[in-house]
Amino acid sequence: MSLPSSRDRQNYARPLPNVPRLRTPNASMSDEAMSNGSHNNNLAEGLETAAEDDPRVARWRENYLRTEARITALLGGDHQHDGDDGEAAQTADQPAMDAPAAHDARPTATPKKAARTIDEDDYGDDDDADEEDDTCTSPLLAKSAPNGIGCPSIDAPSLQISSLSSKLGIESIAAPSAEQPKSADDLRKKLQQDKEADEEAAKRSFHTMFYTLESDRDAMLEQQKLDELDRQVETEMSGQSAATPAPGASTAPQQGTLSTTNLGASSLTLKHLIARIDAERDKVKASDTQLRSLISEVRKNRSKWANEDRVGQEELYESMEKVIMELKAGEHANPFLQRVNKREAPDYYNVIKQPMDIGTMMKKLKQLAYKSKKEFVDDLMLIWANCLKYNSASDHPLRKKALYMRKETEKLVPLIPDITVRDRADVEAEERRMRNGDADADGADDSEDEEPIMASRGRKAPSKGGKGGNAARKAPPAGLEGTPDQESKPAVPTLNHAVSNLKNEFLRADSEMEGSVNGFSTPPPGTLTPIGPNGLLRSGAHGSQADVSEADGTGASVSGFTEEDADLDDLEYKTWKQVTKKDRATIAAERHRLFRDDQLQPDEPAIMRSKAGMRRWARHRKQAIEEGISGASASLADVKDGVQTTTSQSLAEGIAGEEERQVPDYYDPVCTIPDLDERLQWIEDSQGHVIQQHEEYMRLVPSGQFTAPDSALAKKMESNMRQMQETRKICAKIGIVKQMQLQSQMYQNQFQKYDPRPFIEADIEPVVVSEDGPVMAPYVCRAALQRSVGKIFYHAGFEEFQPSALDAITDIAGDFFQKLVASFGLYREMPKMKSDVTVPDANVTPANWVPRFTQEEAIMHSLQVNGVDLESLETYVKEDVERLGSKLSGMHDRMRSYYAELLRPALDNAGADGSGAFNDGSEQFVGGDFAEDIGEDFFGFKELGLDKEFGVAFSVPLHLLQNRMHKAYQSQNTNNIATTGTLMEEPAKFDSVSVQNVTNQIGLMRSWFLIKLRQNDNQSLVEDEDLPPKQRFPKPRLPPTGKISSPRKRPLREQQQMARKKRKLDEEKDETGGNDHNSSSHGSFMKGLGKPVGKLKLEMPQKENQNQNVAEPEKDDGSAVGMISPESILAA
Amino acid sequence: MSDKDKMAKYRTEIQQMMFVSGETGEPSPETTTLIESIVQDQVQHMLRECTILATRRGSKSIGTDDLFMLIRHDRAKISRLRHFLQWKDVRRSVKDSDDKGGDAGADVAAGDADLAAGVVGAGPAAPGDAGKKAKRAKVDLVWEVQSFFAENPPLMDDVEDEEEEEMNYATLQRLKNADERTKHMTREEYVHWSDCRQASFTYRKGKRFKEWAGFGLITDSKPSDDIIDILGFLTFEIVQTLTEEALRVKEAEDLYKKTSGGGAEASRLKRKRERGLFDPPEEAREPVQPGHVQEAYRRLQRGNMKARAMLNFTKSVHRASLKLVSLLAHVKS
Repeated sequence: MSLPSSRDRQNYARPLPNVPRLRTPNASMSDEAMSNGSHNNNLAEGLETAAEDDPRVARWRENYLRTEARITALLGGDHQHDGDDGEAAQTADQPAMDAPAAHDARPTATPKKAARTIDEDDYGDDDDADEEDDTCTSPLLAKSAPNGIGCPSIDAPSLQISSLSSKLGIESIAAPSAEQPKSADDLRKKLQQDKEADEEAAKRSFHTMFYTLESDRDAMLEQQKLDELDRQVETEMSGQSAATPAPGASTAPQQGTLSTTNLGASSLTLKHLIARIDAERDKVKASDTQLRSLISEVRKNRSKWANEDRVGQEELYESMEKVIMELKAGEHANPFLQRVNKREAPDYYNVIKQPMDIGTMMKKLKQLAYKSKKEFVDDLMLIWANCLKYNSASDHPLRKKALYMRKETEKLVPLIPDITVRDRADVEAEERRMRNGDADADGADDSEDEEPIMASRGRKAPSKGGKGGNAARKAPPAGLEGTPDQESKPAVPTLNHAVSNLKNEFLRADSEMEGSVNGFSTPPPGTLTPIGPNGLLRSGAHGSQADVSEADGTGASVSGFTEEDADLDDLEYKTWKQVTKKDRATIAAERHRLFRDDQLQPDEPAIMRSKAGMRRWARHRKQAIEEGISGASASLADVKDGVQTTTSQSLAEGIAGEEERQVPDYYDPVCTIPDLDERLQWIEDSQGHVIQQHEEYMRLVPSGQFTAPDSALAKKMESNMRQMQETRKICAKIGIVKQMQLQSQMYQNQFQKYDPRPFIEADIEPVVVSEDGPVMAPYVCRAALQRSVGKIFYHAGFEEFQPSALDAITDIAGDFFQKLVASFGLYREMPKMKSDVTVPDANVTPANWVPRFTQEEAIMHSLQVNGVDLESLETYVKEDVERLGSKLSGMHDRMRSYYAELLRPALDNAGADGSGAFNDGSEQFVGGDFAEDIGEDFFGFKELGLDKEFGVAFSVPLHLLQNRMHKAYQSQNTNNIATTGTLMEEPAKFDSVSVQNVTNQIGLMRSWFLIKLRQNDNQSLVEDEDLPPKQRFPKPRLPPTGKISSPRKRPLREQQQMARKKRKLDEEKDETGGNDHNSSSHGSFMKGLGKPVGKLKLEMPQKENQNQNVAEPEKDDGSAVGMISPESILAA
Repeated sequence: MSDKDKMAKYRTEIQQMMFVSGETGEPSPETTTLIESIVQDQVQHMLRECTILATRRGSKSIGTDDLFMLIRHDRAKISRLRHFLQWKDVRRSVKDSDDKGGDAGADVAAGDADLAAGVVGAGPAAPGDAGKKAKRAKVDLVWEVQSFFAENPPLMDDVEDEEEEEMNYATLQRLKNADERTKHMTREEYVHWSDCRQASFTYRKGKRFKEWAGFGLITDSKPSDDIIDILGFLTFEIVQTLTEEALRVKEAEDLYKKTSGGGAEASRLKRKRERGLFDPPEEAREPVQPGHVQEAYRRLQRGNMKARAMLNFTKSVHRASLKLVSLLAHVKS
């Protein structure tokens, strides 16, 4: 508004009256005219394509489909479809433009049909998103919805026509001037939006559909071809580039309100940006003015087409280039890219006199050979028409492509502003002329005011008003390529020529008006009126122009053929292919580079994962998730939200300079981010430290995984095994005793002490795992099973077994359990069966299906099938575990009593005192009281009163009297010390006599010790017991009487003994002269005498503690008695 | 005794045994011959198995342990056998110690017969109380507890023998059955019945039995008396089991015939039964046919799941070896 464009000015300068008048007939006539025209066209096209459906049949079918759709819509309670309908009705106003606007234009024989077609399309082909996008973005929705609702759903066609036409008429009358530019705007926008919606839908399908990659190669090749074409054009052009006028500075003079006005050619270049800004208008914190200036800034100097001297060139060429790019990128464009080779089709140039191809068009574009939209469109149409002409067979594959391309062209052509490029001089001249001529016209002041600005910008948008003036100049190119038009379009029926011309008039009036409006930002109402006369003026005059409009007019019907030609792929896929083509081609080419010549190319850069790619991936994923959440039945608002969020995101990203690829993520596999467990994510806390999350998921394997469960049965078995061990212990003792009775000589280590250790099931070392599942460790499991088998072996009475046997049984057991579990699995997974009783499931829905077997049944079955039944199991537990326990304990008792009997052969009272007396292996007996039974004060302790002093009955066990037994017993029963040692602590060992502590010895002995020490090189003296067994002295032997002679008991004589010993020692010292140390000298001396009792006493505490009590009291005088005992014995 | 018939050497015995086992009719020679051949087969099978076991043990001659091993899963039978052997010992010692001559011999004979019939009473053992105390040696089985240990302590008297209880239970069951069977017998019939109970394959027919069982062929060793006695016991068991099973088969067959309209025969049977009011019922009954015996044998040979368990999920075919008939008797009844 604040920047009124030259175009504005132009229009202001040329106001044309009578728009309402003109428009009204147009609206009312359009039906008839169009139907006629289209009918004619149908007939005409019929020449080209042989097979066409009966229009009535088609109509019926459409009607049916439409009704169906309505019914579903009504039932679905979804008003969108009504909206569509209304929209369709509204768009029927400009049938020629609207028909191609549909995503997939169907036959539009009548305007009403066009409406239906759109309706049907929305139902049939487009996915929801597309449709909703359409409707929600269409500004017409609100307005037209009531109309649509008002439309009776099952109306007869005729009725509908009338209602439609009347309605249209009313509308166009009601808002004649405002409607037109608006609808033109909307049309343009709608085209864009459709396209965007298509892309959007295709993009959305990225998340939901997987298309195979087979078309990639084609895409790549096509793209390569395109690039080649570009290059070729470029090289060809480079020679002439000098001739190209230097582009001047240019700005976009016309920026309408972003949301409502189109931006002309800029809408093509910046259409994405503008669309986004439009969609996010409320989020953009800038006024329209600012935005517009911003965009114009951006556009400044941008166009290579800009040329100060060529008015309108920039816009026209930009849009033309866009269109040709779009077409070129289409998947069907391939055959039309280059000139037809004569080798391929020798007769081509016989048939086709005016060859045309996209490459040539690009060249021409670069050469700035096009002066107007019309020329360009003519060329385009010529390509398709050539193709159709040459390939006249109706089922020729190229025809399909050509028809498709034509359809595309028709879709795109309206985007090109109808601008004729003129020289600046001409324009200015005309301006002047016009100003002079229409000085009194409205807005002349405005335009005059604007003039300097325009001039300063060096740019002037040509208006259609200038067209008439330029007709002559336009002629040469038109003549150049326009003449073949007649040939290429033989379809124009001469019969209906008048009618079509008439129609074309109005059509052109529309289209031209739109063309001019394209440039307007906000044309004030009423300014459009001048169009009419101009249109009238030209319409009859120029046949070529009629052709253009002819093309326009027939567009709808032409596109109808494509439907019949049945697109190669479904629409969705096609859209998808088109949208993704370029990127797919790029990616495929990248890939291809690596594998060129069918081998890996090591020098090529690798396909790397990029941050941007990963971000894109993440964004897409989020988007997909959002859409997934919103669901298929999402309301309109939801989708809107979704679109908004996504667009806002992509907007932000786009600003960040990230190029958006139009390919599904699976085309970029290196950039995918694998699903990371949340626990593994790299999360930082506020200080930027990484939060260690492993505590949450790293866990120790719970102990007991590989040990036998603590069951009652296991306990019983354990106790049985303990019982067996105990019994075996006794067994071993019995064996020793028996052996001792037989053998006359004993060896030191003849009897191994039987000391079984209790069974402890070792668990595995602590193991950290990250999952909750069972630990899969076959070896450990096998070892555990082996251990269990071993325990069962032991429990069955085998004290030891061969490893091979253990292995074999383990394997068999493992095999058996596998089979057991396998059969259990089979029974578990039996197909469910139907039951009469509804079983309340965990879910809300009660299920009639119940498992074939209950858990219990399954277990029983699998047991049975593996030859195990409960009885046998129970029998095992009862017989082999429980009864075995009782048997074992009975056996234990028997063993003990047997042992007891063995131990005291002399005493006959064995069994009488019962087994309870032998609680722990005859210890009581061993320390027992048999001497009292005999009634003798064996050691004379009683006489000494020691029994009273200690309160213990001192009696000497039998085995002490029998040396053999004693020794054997000692060797096997060292641990008895511990058991009875509680009575009295074992005294600390005497310190060995050394130089240091010799002074602690009693004075009498000190000198002797010193001598000994000296002999021993001042080393500490070794006790007799610590000597190696060979050097030890023999143990003292009791005489056969078993009586210790009295001197031992006589303390009075101790002194005497001592004295004697001393004397002897001295003698000995004299004799041997300190040859050895103490013990050896003694040994030689005391040979045959047996060890002194004192020696025995000294070692008592270590040997066995039954004697401790005995030994202890003697210790008091031990030091005194010391070594005297041999003498005492001698003396005795 | 049909010496002429080479095959049927035990016809009378088998008839008697069948009578004891509940067959009241007069079985045909075909039936007894069939049973005899089955029994022979089983005995020979046992001998073969025993020989294998003995060889595995490293012994040339088979012992009682091998036989025990064969029937180790039948606890009741094992305990009965052990009991039998114990008492046999006792009797022998009694016979040796107090030389009463024929009296003791009669005792032993009676005891043996009793054993065969399952009546192991205190009767014959009662006189030799002291002998029992002293001599009743435990027949040890290798898998018993005492073999767990190196030392074998003497038995303590107060240890309750649980096997005896178990055996007593089985014995009581047998006695009860016998009681049921003899409840309605007349004196003569009872005498006949008790005669029949003494039927044995081995008793005082040792030579014939050895020949019949193929001792010389299957195993070289001279079997001990114990083995012969055990085999005698087992053969009786086999015949009894077979007969009982065959009777069961016949019963089922009769029932089936009656229900599924073997009309004429059923009515005939009915008439027969009615008419048999004044007749001894056993004579009214039809004897067991060879077919019944065969079916019984088939049933007794039927493999169980246990033997096949390790072949599950494999494609191997289970080849069941010959089974000892007597093993399943308890399971069946």
